[in-house]
Amino acid sequence: MTLLVALLATPLLAAGLLALTRDRLATVVHGVASLVTATLALGVSVAVVRETSLGALDGFLRADALSAWMVALIGVVAALAALEAPHYAGAAPHRFYPFFHLFVFTMLLAVTTDDVGFMWVAVEGTTLASVFLVNFEQTRASLEASYKYVLICSVGIAVAFLGTVLIYFADVAQFGGAEHVLRWTTLRRLAPGLSPRTVEMAFVFLLVGYGTKAGLAPMHTWLPDAHSEAPAPVSAMMSGILLAIGVYAILRFKPIVDVAAGPAVARRLLLGLGLASIAVAAAFLWNPRNYKRMLAYSSVEHLGLVGLGLGFGGPWGIAGAMLHIANHALAKSVLFLLSGRIRSAYASTEIAAVRGLLARLPVTGSLFFAAMLALMGLPPFGLFVSEVLIFGAGVASGHIVVTVVALGLVAIAFAGLARTLPRMLYGEAARDGERSAWMAAPLVAALVLLLMTGLAWPPGLADALAGIAGVIAP
Amino acid sequence: MSDLTNFFAFLGLVTTLLMVWRQSRPARVRLLAAQSLLLAVQAVTIASFTGRGGLLLVALALVVVKAWWIPRAVGRMGTGGPARSVTAGRSAGIRLLVAGALVVVAYALILPVSASSSLPTRGGIPLAFAMALVGLYACVAGRDAVDQILGFLMFENGIFAFGLLATYGLPGLVEAGVFLDVLVVVLVIEGLVIQIRREHASLDVDRLRELRG
Repeated sequence: MTLLVALLATPLLAAGLLALTRDRLATVVHGVASLVTATLALGVSVAVVRETSLGALDGFLRADALSAWMVALIGVVAALAALEAPHYAGAAPHRFYPFFHLFVFTMLLAVTTDDVGFMWVAVEGTTLASVFLVNFEQTRASLEASYKYVLICSVGIAVAFLGTVLIYFADVAQFGGAEHVLRWTTLRRLAPGLSPRTVEMAFVFLLVGYGTKAGLAPMHTWLPDAHSEAPAPVSAMMSGILLAIGVYAILRFKPIVDVAAGPAVARRLLLGLGLASIAVAAAFLWNPRNYKRMLAYSSVEHLGLVGLGLGFGGPWGIAGAMLHIANHALAKSVLFLLSGRIRSAYASTEIAAVRGLLARLPVTGSLFFAAMLALMGLPPFGLFVSEVLIFGAGVASGHIVVTVVALGLVAIAFAGLARTLPRMLYGEAARDGERSAWMAAPLVAALVLLLMTGLAWPPGLADALAGIAGVIAP
Repeated sequence: MSDLTNFFAFLGLVTTLLMVWRQSRPARVRLLAAQSLLLAVQAVTIASFTGRGGLLLVALALVVVKAWWIPRAVGRMGTGGPARSVTAGRSAGIRLLVAGALVVVAYALILPVSASSSLPTRGGIPLAFAMALVGLYACVAGRDAVDQILGFLMFENGIFAFGLLATYGLPGLVEAGVFLDVLVVVLVIEGLVIQIRREHASLDVDRLRELRG
């Protein structure tokens, strides 16, 4: 139980320390803190697999299978980003490291608190901690991106707050002053007695609100700007895990709505938003011009797929969606980190400016190639498996039309990426000095994990997915 | 008690509609401060009838943060710019019409829901919900940064009034988190707005068009 407290205390403490330290010492503190955070994150996940759930601080903090999945993802992606961060913190580490660790802290808090009111505070905290990182370079474009980001996400998250108040209202109207009414475990217990009408309305607000954070269309407009303007390690964390935290928040409320108002409510809404997101992304991905925006829109596409999987439901749909979140987090964070290296070599984020990537940066180029293949959903990588699971769930649940339309849109996005990728990879270029090859080792490790989710599931993965299905099942 | 809380909720919606109608920026900032004070009065009223001492703390936080500090910060953002954000040919007529329609929508949506409440304050719930919806509209329709942040704060106040009337306020820890959050959002946006003004010499968000597609 102290494990959870330590997990949250480490990045918070690090953020405070890093605000005071300078130069080499800052890099050392950053490295140590990141290592400890990642280790504790994996420790929490392992402990949850053994004991099904952890609690701390009188139940205020709680980690079940769903939390553990997210904690592990945050641990892995934050570690990858932390390794690259020193290349970006550059001239102003005091404006980078403290917010980096604060960002990690707010994300971990959002997925480990049992109180849905406090989860809301933490999710809004993720925006406020990361907005300074988005504006790190302080250019006109990054300034514009930060303004859009903080305004759209704050308004979106305020909509989610209205939903949270409505849930609380349903609770209080029904059960008076029960203790800890905003705790998820309490809500879960009281769900059968909640007013269906109130809960249904609350869920619409919650979905729009947290859907904004998850980057679901049509609330996605902040996403391409913020993702493309932020320094690469921050883009990697935003795209890989921050979006998933929006989905996580929606998932916490889904079983409550399913029980109180019937499963059709959440299903219809999730399928609608999922399909809209894939459509918006496909339209952009057909002919992208900027590779960081291309990666950002691809996030909209994949989060749309996750929405579809959750909408289809059933064991396949939920397992597929959760696995897809993890696969996407791995592939996209690798790609965003590589995009940072490409950008520093070509001094541009325009696709037209990047020629002969394989010849000029052989290590970066071939990793980019592999990760793009993974992102496009090709076997033997994990995204292929999770997409098959999601579409399989669509057929199994009888949503043939939605499944076929989604497949068509995914094919358009695929074709767009397949046209674009060779333009970047091939062409004449002189070989450049690259960062030492072993610096790429963590990225290779992430790709190996993607191969494992695609080819041979590591022991425990199936159990973890089954555990999550148990948490979300109505 | 119901008469008093209903009356304050009604006044709250009136201040929101006045903010949609008024064009002068300082006047709208003053209206925001007045609205926040009204919320504090509402909290004190509920506290004195129900004996919930915690609401007095909430009222104090409202006065300090939302009625005093935030209006000052928003006022600072607006200084230097023109006192009116209107351009020729735009009147408040359409906006007021939309706001009026939203009040009707709010009633239609929330009445069946608020009927399930047994609190004496339930009569004001639709008014507070309407405040929130109109605030959200003002934020989305806002043409410059100050308009948008004012709309956001109207929305926030509406949600707050809704929570107060429907549930006598949220648990203390969450409420504290929300106050902190609003405070930081305003601080962050103030910082960004100052930079935007330096870069673009304007608060007009239509000029933010670096990022497309």
